[in-house]
Amino acid sequence: MTQNNVYSDATQARGDVIIEVQGVDKFFGDFQALKNINLNVGKQEVIVVMGPSGSGKSTLIRCINRLEKHDAGRIVVDGVELSDDIRNIQEIRRETGMVFQQFNLFPHLTVLDNITLAPRQVRNMPKNEAEEMAMLQLERVKIPEQAHKYPGQLSGGQQQRVAIARSLAMQPKVMLFDEPTSALDPEMIKEVLDAMQELAESGMTMIVVTHEMGFARAVANRVLFMADGEVVEVGTPQHIFENPDEDRTKLFLSQIL
Amino acid sequence: MAVRTETASLRRPSPALRWVRENLFNNWYNSVLTVIFGALFIWVGFSLLRWVFFRAEWEIVRVNLTLFMVGRFPRDELARIWVSNYMIVGAIGLMAGAATASAAAAAKEAGLPFVQSKLQDLIQRFWPVLLLVAALLQFSRTWTPTIMTVGMVVIGVAARFAGLHLPRVIRRYAWVLVALLLIGAYGALVWFGGFGWDDWGGLHLTLFVTVAGIILAFPLGLLFALGRRSTLPLVRLLSVTYIEFIRGVPLITLLLMGAFALKFLLPPGMDLSLVSRLVVAIMLFTAAYVAENVRGGLQAVPKGQTEAGQALGLPAWKVMRLIVLPQALRAVIPAMVGQFISLFKDTSLLVVVGVFELLAVSSIANNQPEFLGKGLAEVTLPFVAVIYWVGAYTMSRESRRLEKKLGVGER
Repeated sequence: MTQNNVYSDATQARGDVIIEVQGVDKFFGDFQALKNINLNVGKQEVIVVMGPSGSGKSTLIRCINRLEKHDAGRIVVDGVELSDDIRNIQEIRRETGMVFQQFNLFPHLTVLDNITLAPRQVRNMPKNEAEEMAMLQLERVKIPEQAHKYPGQLSGGQQQRVAIARSLAMQPKVMLFDEPTSALDPEMIKEVLDAMQELAESGMTMIVVTHEMGFARAVANRVLFMADGEVVEVGTPQHIFENPDEDRTKLFLSQIL
Repeated sequence: MAVRTETASLRRPSPALRWVRENLFNNWYNSVLTVIFGALFIWVGFSLLRWVFFRAEWEIVRVNLTLFMVGRFPRDELARIWVSNYMIVGAIGLMAGAATASAAAAAKEAGLPFVQSKLQDLIQRFWPVLLLVAALLQFSRTWTPTIMTVGMVVIGVAARFAGLHLPRVIRRYAWVLVALLLIGAYGALVWFGGFGWDDWGGLHLTLFVTVAGIILAFPLGLLFALGRRSTLPLVRLLSVTYIEFIRGVPLITLLLMGAFALKFLLPPGMDLSLVSRLVVAIMLFTAAYVAENVRGGLQAVPKGQTEAGQALGLPAWKVMRLIVLPQALRAVIPAMVGQFISLFKDTSLLVVVGVFELLAVSSIANNQPEFLGKGLAEVTLPFVAVIYWVGAYTMSRESRRLEKKLGVGER
């Protein structure tokens, strides 16, 4: 495989496409947050999105599950196109897990209830079955012993792992991560990244907004660099980190390293 | 070593004495203030006790005790009220028992320890109520109320026992039984040739109007709070208009309108009794304030909570009901209970439209021929005030307990 080949491969999704983003624009008032975004994500692909703050990274993934409404273009997730139809939106949200920077666990529910809430309420899973499945997810993120505590009793890293387990409990086909480690103390970042890496190795399709270069190098199939609401460049981690084409990418990397 | 600490603590003054020295007599002006205020405090306390036990002429309360308790409720039908009370106590006991059993079962399933509350806790929680009941029974000139009250305690304890030991399958439907008992408690007063609200009175009516007001105002307030945050402009406009209109009008105006004007607004043929029109006025009034309290709670729940619920695929109404509302309501317990305490005390305003509630009875008693012009308002008003205080203070304490139990302020 030549260098050129790797590059052209890296701009396109491999295999079956599960997320299609075509010509998406997003405005907040007069401010254009996304400018003509195009991105195809293949099944089992892991994409890391980087870029300076205000570049539209979070807005992009929040559009994919309609936490933000895009103003132009189309977004298709697993064959369902996002429209104003609430049933389409619900269907996509059921298949799409999201992990937030601030965890957003439900403070009035125990860890177990946080995880079983959606399977029971959305998928009508019986209580026993939901709890068994929740325990499996907690074992997956290595904190089954915290099941009966409340979120406020856990460390940040533990809370974020519960948030991952909560999303996984809906058995999503795609996971979106919105700066999952940015609100964590340094010593807790690794436990969350480890959980995410294991998830990626299990074949989950993931879009991760993060500045963790180590994670991107180890796990990402492609890195998307964004600035001012545009995709500046897309490529393999090696390409983006070691030999970026664009000056804006170089400048950004020099600032975060 | 152990011996030495023991002798040291022997030589040191007792903790109480040390507290007094450090806090009350730590310098000369504090000592002066302590002496002055101590003397004042003792004098006030002494005068108060002397008044309560020797000076006050409680005869007016003794003679009119039934009037204070139930107003003009027909005297030969008082058994209805006792039956009703028995059913209410039974419902409360059953509910408490079933709730304890459910909580214990849930804790056991989760492998957590469960501490059952003891009699001592109950006394600590409700000592003002217990003292008041004891005082009221002491005023009674017959043994009937005492026997009936003992009967209520027995039934309450028995119902709690039953609630604790209900089979699990039935326990899930205990609320149906509780509801039936409460309906029965109401029916015992009004069915089978019973008496409508306009014949009720005294403390009984005051408590009924309070409970009815709270039960009706809460859901209505909740609706207006949600309406005020609705995305539909018409719903929002209606809610805002309602809330701002009601909040701009004094309660007494609404009560007077309920008493004298509502009649003309109702469709012909539909005739609501005076008290029910007033309950409607109180409900409408309180609902507006509840709505504003709840709105404050809704705004305090971070946006991320809604987003997390949406991202999990929950429909909007479930996000509201399961995630946002529980947190919002928890945050506004203090404000809400404050509102309900106001409602309880404001029922005394019914006196101006001629309803025989607790405060009205005190002036009626003072106008009886045998007590007229004896200046006995100085007895009846404190008596009524203490009853209001016991109710309000108990609500306030229970709200603090609820807050603690639900962990308000901990996230």
